[in-house]
Amino acid sequence: MNEHHKTEAYLRTELAIVEAAKSDPSKFGVLYEKYYRQVYVFVFRRIGDEDESGDIAANTFLKAMLALSKYTYRGVPFSAWLFRIASNEINLFFRKNNRERIVSLDKSDLSKIMVEGGENDSEENQKLLLRVLSTLTTEEMQLIELRFFEKRPFNEIGEIIGITENNAKVRTYRILEKLKLLLLKSGGR
Amino acid sequence: MTNFKFDIDPKEPREEKIAEHKDFGKVMQNYQRMTNPLYRTPLYRYRKIFIAVLLALSIAFLIAEFGENKEDNNKIPADSLKKKMDSPMKDSVKIKMGSNR
Repeated sequence: MNEHHKTEAYLRTELAIVEAAKSDPSKFGVLYEKYYRQVYVFVFRRIGDEDESGDIAANTFLKAMLALSKYTYRGVPFSAWLFRIASNEINLFFRKNNRERIVSLDKSDLSKIMVEGGENDSEENQKLLLRVLSTLTTEEMQLIELRFFEKRPFNEIGEIIGITENNAKVRTYRILEKLKLLLLKSGGR
Repeated sequence: MTNFKFDIDPKEPREEKIAEHKDFGKVMQNYQRMTNPLYRTPLYRYRKIFIAVLLALSIAFLIAEFGENKEDNNKIPADSLKKKMDSPMKDSVKIKMGSNR
């Protein structure tokens, strides 16, 4: 079980805090304390700038507070909803600024994709994979990032992107197939 | 093609920077400002309604002012009216009397 998997009791306790914050916004402070760092790091991994990440994280929490009455529990941690808002804020940032998107990953993540795609995990193939990854669309890259670079479960990925868990699974495996094909075309083995 | 910059084995953001930006009080302040009804619906937000109300009030004020002036002009002070009424009558009587002689 990784850090993203939470027990039902944990989720219920968190939901009680969310419900309390709906009627008393000052109680949102508990959720802010709990998730500020996670949201900040989530943004930083995609923006690469500490100050911009601070601004986007602040906007994320403000928008979450303003829309809290619309929040509905879907069996995933509250953080998934926050990441969804943060993700929209990041997209807005890139639309406004026309900057290069940052994709943060560990070297071991590349190996994981190679193995999942049934490919040989060689240094040469990893370089090829990076080249092939850069041809993906933003939406495709977002799925790869969430699943392979941040190791999130599919139900949480679905909540962040705004699709069902099954849809998230299907789309991810389609992207893997696409990557495999592109690797083959580029001469990987 | 989308522009991606791959950051392999990235550095974590500095803890002091995270702490510097972490400020729930500020978020709460912004939240209160944005949920304040006056902030949400300022008068100028519905510009047409605002202008219509402003025009109606101006017209009402002008009518009230104009009406008051008109009334003042029509109103002749009581003693001056009495004088006016008295003097021409006497003269005409005098003339009539003189002519009879």
